[in-house]
This record gives sequence, C-alpha cells and structure tokens, in this order.
Amino acid sequence: MSGTMARTMTRSARTNWRALLRRAGDLRFGSLSVRIAVLYASLFAAVLAMVVLFAGGGLSRFAENSATRDLQSNARVFNEILDLRAGQMRQSAEVLARDFGFREAVATQDGATIASALASLKSRSNADAAFVLALDGDLLGADTAGAGDDETGSSAHGMGGVSDPASLWYRLDAGDTRGIIDTHGKLALAAAAPIEAPDLIGWLVIAQPLDRAELDKLVDLAAIPLDAQVMRAGSQPQWASEKPTGTVFERGLIEKGEKARFLYHISDLPALQEGIAPQLVLRHSLTGTLGQYASLQYLLIALALAGIALVLVLSLQVARSVTKPLGKLDEATRAFSEGRDIELKIETKDEVGRLARSFKAMVSAIEERERQIIHAGLHDGLTGLPNRKLFTEQLGSLLSRRKTDERLLIAYVDLDDFKVINDTLGHPVGDGFLREVAEHLCTALPDALVARLGGDEFAILIDNIQPGANLAGIADDLQNALSREITVADQPLDMSASIGIAIAPGDGTNGTTLMKNADLALYRAKKEGKSTYHFFEPSLDEQARKRRQMELDLRLALKEGHLELNFQPLFSVARRQVTGFEALVRWNHPTHGQIAPVEFIPLAEETGLIVPLGEWVLREACRQAAQWPEEISVAVNISPKQFIYPGLSTTILQAISAGGIAAHRLELEITESIFIADVEKTMATLHGLRNLGVRIALDDFGTGYSSLSYLRSFPFDKVKIDRSFVEDLGGEGNGHAVIRAITALADALGMDTLAEGVELSEQYDVLEREGCQYVQGYLLSRPVPGDAVARLLSSGGLPDLVRVSV
Amino acid sequence: MVCKRGLMRPAQLSVSRCLLLFSCGALAIAVLALTVLASASQAFAAGGADLRIQITDQNGMPIRNAVVEVHPAALTPRPIRFPWRMGMAQKGQAFVPGTLVVARGSTVAFPNLDKVRHSIYSFSPAARFEIDLYGRDQTRTHTFARTGAVKLGCNIHDDMRGYIRVTDTPHAGTTDRNGYLTLPGMNTGRARVTVWHPQLRAPRNEHRIEVMLADGAQTRKIGVRLR
Repeated sequence: MSGTMARTMTRSARTNWRALLRRAGDLRFGSLSVRIAVLYASLFAAVLAMVVLFAGGGLSRFAENSATRDLQSNARVFNEILDLRAGQMRQSAEVLARDFGFREAVATQDGATIASALASLKSRSNADAAFVLALDGDLLGADTAGAGDDETGSSAHGMGGVSDPASLWYRLDAGDTRGIIDTHGKLALAAAAPIEAPDLIGWLVIAQPLDRAELDKLVDLAAIPLDAQVMRAGSQPQWASEKPTGTVFERGLIEKGEKARFLYHISDLPALQEGIAPQLVLRHSLTGTLGQYASLQYLLIALALAGIALVLVLSLQVARSVTKPLGKLDEATRAFSEGRDIELKIETKDEVGRLARSFKAMVSAIEERERQIIHAGLHDGLTGLPNRKLFTEQLGSLLSRRKTDERLLIAYVDLDDFKVINDTLGHPVGDGFLREVAEHLCTALPDALVARLGGDEFAILIDNIQPGANLAGIADDLQNALSREITVADQPLDMSASIGIAIAPGDGTNGTTLMKNADLALYRAKKEGKSTYHFFEPSLDEQARKRRQMELDLRLALKEGHLELNFQPLFSVARRQVTGFEALVRWNHPTHGQIAPVEFIPLAEETGLIVPLGEWVLREACRQAAQWPEEISVAVNISPKQFIYPGLSTTILQAISAGGIAAHRLELEITESIFIADVEKTMATLHGLRNLGVRIALDDFGTGYSSLSYLRSFPFDKVKIDRSFVEDLGGEGNGHAVIRAITALADALGMDTLAEGVELSEQYDVLEREGCQYVQGYLLSRPVPGDAVARLLSSGGLPDLVRVSV
Repeated sequence: MVCKRGLMRPAQLSVSRCLLLFSCGALAIAVLALTVLASASQAFAAGGADLRIQITDQNGMPIRNAVVEVHPAALTPRPIRFPWRMGMAQKGQAFVPGTLVVARGSTVAFPNLDKVRHSIYSFSPAARFEIDLYGRDQTRTHTFARTGAVKLGCNIHDDMRGYIRVTDTPHAGTTDRNGYLTLPGMNTGRARVTVWHPQLRAPRNEHRIEVMLADGAQTRKIGVRLR
C-alpha cells in the first residue's frame, strides 16, 4: 500500500519535474538572444552549483579527514612523548637505583639514607614523588615529611601519596617500568627502576603529575591546536566511554552559546597501578579548522558567480551575433512583403550569411517573376504589344498629364478580312500575320503607343499633338502605314484595315469615353467599307444608343410576342399554283410601328438574338403550316449564326413534332456565307439536317464566291436565284443567259430552281421560257399575314396579273 | 692445577709468592683432609636409606641448582662436612659454582681466576660483608657464622650472582640439571624439607614442607613457584 503510494508520489514528482523542465524550455522571451543566454547561463549555473556543492563537500570532508589524521598522528606523538618522558624519568631513577650506596641502604633498610637520596633525586629530576617499593611490599623512604614542599596533605596518605602500595607491586612485579599512578589523588606519570643487590630487592619509583600545566607544555609540541587531558576511564562522560579507544570521533558541543564541532581521540595509557584505567583525551576544534576551508568555499562560490556572469554576458553576445542578422533578415522580409526596397548588409560567411544571400537571391527571383507576371498580364502573348489593360492604364495616365491645349489621338484598327486569312491559310499564318502587322506598326509609328486589343483589333495612341496640327494628315499616315503588302510564310498578303479615331479632349476627356468613341468610329468605318478611316462624330454615338435601345426592344418583343410571321407564296410555274410559302418575320413595335427585317435582323445577328428569334420563327412557321393543306410547304431562313449554333437540329425536330407536320414540308433556306466557316463542319451539319428529312435550299444564289463548287459539294434540294439576276431580265441585257445557265446547271444536278423578286410579267415570261421551276415576288403576291394564307389558297391563289399575262 | 700454575711462575719471588706457595700447600692439605672426611661420612651415612628428591617449578620443569635441606626431627648435632669444596671462584665473570651449600661456620675461599679484578659484597642478613677489589690469582675468604642465604654480587659487574646457602644440616645439596638431588643415609621419621632458590616466590625464597620419611629408598617430588 505504502509502496504504491511512494511510487505514485515519485511518479507525480517526476511529472512535476518534467512539466517544470518543459515550462523552462517554453519560456517566452521576447528575443531569442535572451533565451539562449538565459538557458546557457542556467545550464552553466547548474553545473557550477554541482561543482561548488561537490567541491565544497569534498573540501570539508578533506578538512575533516586531514584533521582526523592529524589528531590520530598527534595522539601517537603524544603517547611517544609520554613514553619518552617516562623513559627519561626511568633513566634518572636507574642512576640512583644502581648506586651501590643506595642499594646498600635499601638492602639494609636504612630509611633515612633512602629518604635523603630520594629527596635529592626529586629535586634533580623535577619529580613530584619518589619512593622505594621493596620486594616484600614495604614502602621505603616515603619522602613526604622531609621534603618540605607544598604537599602538606600527603602525610595523610602516608606512603608518598600512594594510597595502596600493593596495587603498584603487582605491576612492578610483572615487569612494568612506566605508567600512570595515582599520587595525592591525582594522576601522575611514573617510572620505576629495579633495585638489585644483586637480586631484585625492590623498585625505585618516581612520578611527575600530569596536571593542566604539564599537559599544556606537551600540547605546545603538537602540530595542531589541541586540548589534552588525562582522566580515569570511570570519570569519562557516557558518550566518551562508549566510543572505542584509539579512534577519532566527532562530537558537537554547545560552547559559549555557539554550536561547536570537536574531534575527540581517546586512548588508553599504561597504568603502573592496579585499579586505575587512565585515558588520554585529546580534543581538537573542528569548527576552527573548517573555518579556514570555509573561506576557500566562499572563494569558490564567488568564482562560480563570476563565471555565471561571464557566461551570461558572453552567451548574450554570441546569441546577439546570431540574432542580429536574423533581426535584419526579419526586417528585410517585412519590408519586402510591404513592397519597399530592401537593404540587407550581412557579409558573414556562416549559415546566417548564406541565409541572407539566399534571401537576396530569392527576393530578386521573386522580383523577376513578378516583373514577368506583370509583363504577361499587361502584354499580349502573341505580339508582345501592350494589351488592353496596359493601354487603358497608359491612356489614363497620359490623359491626366495632358496639357490644356494639347490633344491626344487614339485609333482603333481592325484588320480587314483577317478571318479569311485565318480560315483559308490556317492559324499559324494568321498568327504570323498579326506579328508582322504589330512589328510593322511599331516601326512605322515609333512615337505612338501600339497595343493589341484582341483578335485582329489594334489600338494606337498618339499624344502630344499640338493645336493646329493636321489631324486628317495623321489619319492618312495611319491609313498608309496599314495599307501595304506583307509576306508571311512566303505568301504575300494584302494588309488593309478599318480605323476609328477619337481625339481628346474633343471626343472625351476620360479613357473609357475615348475608347468607346473610337470603337464607334471604327464600327462606322467598317460599315462604310474596307480600308478606310472615320473620325468620331457625336451622331455615331446617337446611332449606337439607338441600336442598344432596339436590341432591348427586340428582346422584349421576343418575350411579349410583338413579332409575327408573314408568308410570301412560292409559285410553281409548271403547275401554275402556289406550292409553298416563305416565312418572313415582322416586328410590330409598340411605339415605332412596323420595323423592317433589314433594320433588326443584322442587329439580331450581331447580338446573338438571332438564335432565339430563329427558333421562334421555326416553331411559329411549323405551327401555322400545320393548318395548311398537306401539299403546301413552308420555307424558313436560317442565318449563318443560327446555322453554326449546335442546338439547331434539336430545335428543328422540336418545331416539326410540335407543329405536327411532315419533315419534307419544311424547307430551310441557307446562304452561301455558311461555307466561309469550317467547310467540313458545315457539310456535317448539312447532312445532319438532311437526315431529319427536311428540304434544304440555297438562298441568294450567285452573289457569293465560288458558288458552283458549293453546288457540287452538297445536293441542295433547291437553288434560289438572287433577285439581282431577275432584275436584269426584261431589258436588253443577257440576263436570260445567266438564268438559263443556272437552270441548266441545277437541272443537271437534280435541283429545283426558284427565282426571287419577280415583279414584272416580262420577267416571269423569261423565267418560264428559260426553265425556272418556281417564282416568288410581288408579281404574284406580297407577303401576307398568316390568317390570309388560307384565303389566298382558296381563291385560287394567283393574282390577276399573272393570270393576265398567261 | 692452581699450584702448578703457581709453580710455573718462577719470576715472582716476592713475599706474595711465598704466601701463595703457602696457601697452595694449605689448600692441598685441606683438600686431602676433606677427601678423607668425605669418605668417612659416606661410610657413616651408609647406615640409612637414600632419599631422592626432584624439584620442579610451577610448569613442571626441573629446577637446577635449587638447594634442598632436610632437617630430620632427630638430628644429632655433629660437625658437618660436605664432600664439595668450600670455595666460590670468580671465573669468566661469574661465580663458580653459582650456588654453594656450606655448613655453618665454614670459611669459604673466593679465588679470582679471571684476568679482571672483582669485588664481593653481600647485603644478606645471614652474612653482610664486603671484599674490596682484588686481582687475579688472589683469593679472599669469609667465614659464615649464621645460617641462611647469602647473595653475592660484584660491585663492578652487576650481572655476577653467587649464592651461598649456610646450613646446619648434613642432609643438604643442590639439584642437578634434572632437578634431582640424592641424599643418602636418611633415617626414617619426620623431617622438615626446606627448598631454597634465589627466584623462589616465597618469603626469604624458602619453601618448607614437613615429610614423613619411610624406610628404604624413596623419591619425593616437590613443586615450587619461581618468579
């Protein structure tokens, strides 16, 4: 139980100790250097404390041991001195004991003679007592009465102060010659010399007292301060008599109110008398001895403290040499993160120096990368010219610095027919062309800022135009710079561009306005025809506003149903009856009234509204056609944008099934321009549509490029001859020859032909004669609303004009 | 031998030489007389039995040169003559023989046979005397009138010890190296045996016992304590 408790306690103590250590390790100091210094100093202090502790302990142990040794050796010396003393006494006793006269006196028991001889011996050898103990135990020549010294009390003892001569006799008889005896009640050192005449007849004994004065004289001979005392064993205190004799032991005493430590050595002394057990007690003050060593300990502690202070200072210094550059690095890092310039001067060759160099390298690498990123963010990857963002920024800063009378010109440039180059010669050539143009622009306009805005659009900024400068001249120069031949991949290409120009401050004083206006001017320039420039005019802005309004209105119209379909009949020349209708969209604007498709279809094309618009037309056309007779078809125009729209097939399918008409009753009219885009994709789309079962007609035939190749590449169901060819008919020209050629060609390819814009009966006649199968136009009927279709069909369908001409 | 030596020194023709010749002659006569006496006493003693006594110490070891005196209860006083010479020579810085038993009234000669001079002193109560230093080939005498032990020392040679036991009984002698002493011609009856030895632990170094002597030869063993 107690064992478990002890274990628990030790464990908890250990845990506490560990926690303390951890806390010491976690000590939070503001600076690393102070922490290092404190930790080092603590460690050093701990080590020094151990050293001081052990050295101090060792010192005091050493002091105690050496004092013990000293005391032991002094005890031996003391014994030897006593022995020597006794020897001397014996010698002087022997001199008398051998004297013939003295022997005779003893042998004859001549008491007076003996006494006088002993008296002279006493005075000669400084003895305190001298007597003769005869072999038969008698005490002869007890000197007391005649000696006349101060031993007045000794007469009471009678026998020279020796209370019991017999107690001496046995020792002497046993051969002892020296030892302690009791004279006058005090312990005295005695020596005996045998008296032989010639055989032993007795002993001559002389004695000297071992009183304080005598012992003090002996103590003076000792190497260390001693306190000596000769005592009877029985008179020793209890603690002393318990200790074994001949050993050194320690005993603390209270002396003069202070606690003092003493070393004791008690040794037995030889006794020359029975019944006494004399002991020599040596005492040495350990306190005094240790006091000398204590100063040494204090010196040690002082040295340790000085050492700790030194370590503290030095480790602080060392730590600072580490942390100072670290601090610099820290500051530099902060400066770097705040985007300030960095000044870092660490030239050491150690780890910190390497860190500093690495840091510098990292900073410059980051700066380089940042520069690259900024460059990439602000420049066009293909041409290396500034991009729209940089152009806008530069424009803004230049505008803000512009002087009042100074003008600034920006020109938006759009390369003409770049799409054709890209589509016909491939993107690599297109990219090369753009690069060449960019390079050429930079060379031709060294003072201008040239930027690529995206695609084939470039922007040019010319500032610092003085008042009175010829702006038209500048525009001409721009135009000239952009109108030339460029060779890309060994192919000569004509470069021409439309340019829109806006000038600050007249056309705006902020970048956004200027750029918008330049864009409007460009739009106008492109509308006016290729390779031309146009200055911004406020009216352009007005037109643009109107277009935006119309776009909003168109969206609303689609949503609210302001659109409706009109149908223009398609007339079969051979059958002389209406066989189908072309659906044409009409917009009844709530405020502006009827708006012509010519006005809003291009807008729908530009804005992408053509897709929902076309979808609506398809659905509506199919829905209405469902109410018509089975044989009447419906034709719907599909714009190029609509054609490339991926969901076209689905839309058509949904329109057919929603309306519930047979697929072959729906005729899609597409223009040649769809072939300008990816031909393969176009063909795939066409075949897909054909697979739906709908009929496909080629609209506006004869106006585009290589029409014949298109005819050959896809089996259209019908070819619609452009109205421009029909207009030529009826006059003197050879318009009928073209019609004939087309009909012959279509006939050969198995396609039907339809002529658009037939307005005159003469035209109709020619068409009929030349073999055109269908006609469409005002001659037959204007487009009519949906509800008029049924009436038109029931009335026989043909206007009088036609019938008249027939 | 002594005479012969004396005769071999013809250079000394002084009075002392005459004296020496005289003493030699006296000694020779004395020796002759003693020899005759001894044989006569032996013849006389042949009437009793032999008493054989052994003296041992406390350890059972035999004691040599212990003096044994037997005083029969009935002792007719008559002149005592011991068969040994009444002389204690000084030879090799020692008394020779070391222990000598003499009858009361005997005169003992102390011839110095050494090359050095010797003195003789005795503080013993039985005979207190002092003989000053005397040289080689000289002799001194002393007559012992009282019984008891006489311890002889030389004043200048502390180690020299000689013991003369003066007795008043014819039945006395010293033990041999085995501690034995044979006393012939002892009559039966009560007797007091006194053993003396210089180291014997007893008053006056004497040990006394009363014995009853039976008829015929007998042996007694007496133990004493020595210091």
